Amino acid sequence: MPQFESHFFSSLIFWEVVSFAILFFVLYKFAFPGILGILEEREKKIKDSLDQAERHRSDAERKLKEYEAKLNAAAKEADGILAAAKERAQRLLEENEQRLTAEAERIKGDAARAIEQERRAAIQDIRTQTTELALMVAEKVVQRSLNDADHRRMADDALDALAKSPSR
Amino acid sequence: MEESPLHPFELHNYIPITLGGLDISINKAVIMMWVVVGVITLLMVKASAARRLVPGKLQSLAEMLVDFIRGIIMDTMGKDGMKFFPLIATLFLFILFCNLLGLIPGTYTVTSQIIVTAVFAITVYALSLLLGLMFHGIKFIPAILIPPGTPWWLIPLMMPIEFVSQVARPVSLAVRLFANMTAGHTILGVLFGLAISGGLLIGWLPFAFTIAMNGLEVGIAFIQAYIFTVLTCVYLGDAFHLHGSEDHAH
Repeated sequence: MPQFESHFFSSLIFWEVVSFAILFFVLYKFAFPGILGILEEREKKIKDSLDQAERHRSDAERKLKEYEAKLNAAAKEADGILAAAKERAQRLLEENEQRLTAEAERIKGDAARAIEQERRAAIQDIRTQTTELALMVAEKVVQRSLNDADHRRMADDALDALAKSPSR
Repeated sequence: MEESPLHPFELHNYIPITLGGLDISINKAVIMMWVVVGVITLLMVKASAARRLVPGKLQSLAEMLVDFIRGIIMDTMGKDGMKFFPLIATLFLFILFCNLLGLIPGTYTVTSQIIVTAVFAITVYALSLLLGLMFHGIKFIPAILIPPGTPWWLIPLMMPIEFVSQVARPVSLAVRLFANMTAGHTILGVLFGLAISGGLLIGWLPFAFTIAMNGLEVGIAFIQAYIFTVLTCVYLGDAFHLHGSEDHAH
């Protein structure tokens, strides 16, 4: 086999060692630090990004919970306000009704009293006028037959009857 | 004369050079080594210079290779192994590109030379022994020859077996890569020879096979570079995570 021709060995060994040494030096100096560095940098970046994403996610979840809680509180508050308003409205309504009823009652009472007063006054008036009329009639009767004893007695009776009669 | 399928592995000195009595003539394999070094340098240095967080195509390729090697080291040696990253990555890239570029017709597969793979294998094995001695002192030698938990009366039997297995490490490392590369190219050579001698009438069949084989060879080129690298990591890892060293301590 041509590979076992030993007179090439020395040159192959020499140049292999030299080539390898040069390659090793060049890569060690100029290639590996850069490539390993960028690999590590990328790994770190990916890890950081994942961590950050995780952090953001938990943040978002926390915020969501917060907002939900706030929303619930707001809804509860709104419910409370609504209920209070309803109650207040109801109370106002009832108060108004009572007030109006009382007012109506009062007006009615006033009216009744006024009517009663007027009635009394009217009756009083009628009575006065009747008395005067009766007196006038009586006077006329009396003037015509003062001497007649029968007529006098009749006039007295009439006056008595008038005085005894009920006020209405 | 019928051309030998091993013809592509022959080397010829283009420029004869001697350095202090040492023959360091330039031949095809040497030129291929330079090409490999050039291609890797171009790829990796350019990719490294880009340094973009969202990589382009070239940077992606380089990062994929680097990440792949880092994965191998992490799996076999753990975080301590990253000390050896430059060495192992250079080794992987050198072997991978030797294997891959050798598949281009007209080029030369450097790793099909047993001496090239042997130098890598012996260097790696020697390094693992050296590291073992550095980390664990002289007790590293009996520790690799006697597996933990061996009964005392089995020691005379186990030591020669373990010795052979240790020697087999560099040998198998070198031969595996060399044999795979040689065999693949030999098969390609044979098939292509058949295609040429078969003519148009029947020659298309072996020619189609050469195309399919070339695809397979790309896979093999990658797998062999991977195996060489993984075994390098395992041997180096053994040196500082001595098997059962904790058990011996108690």
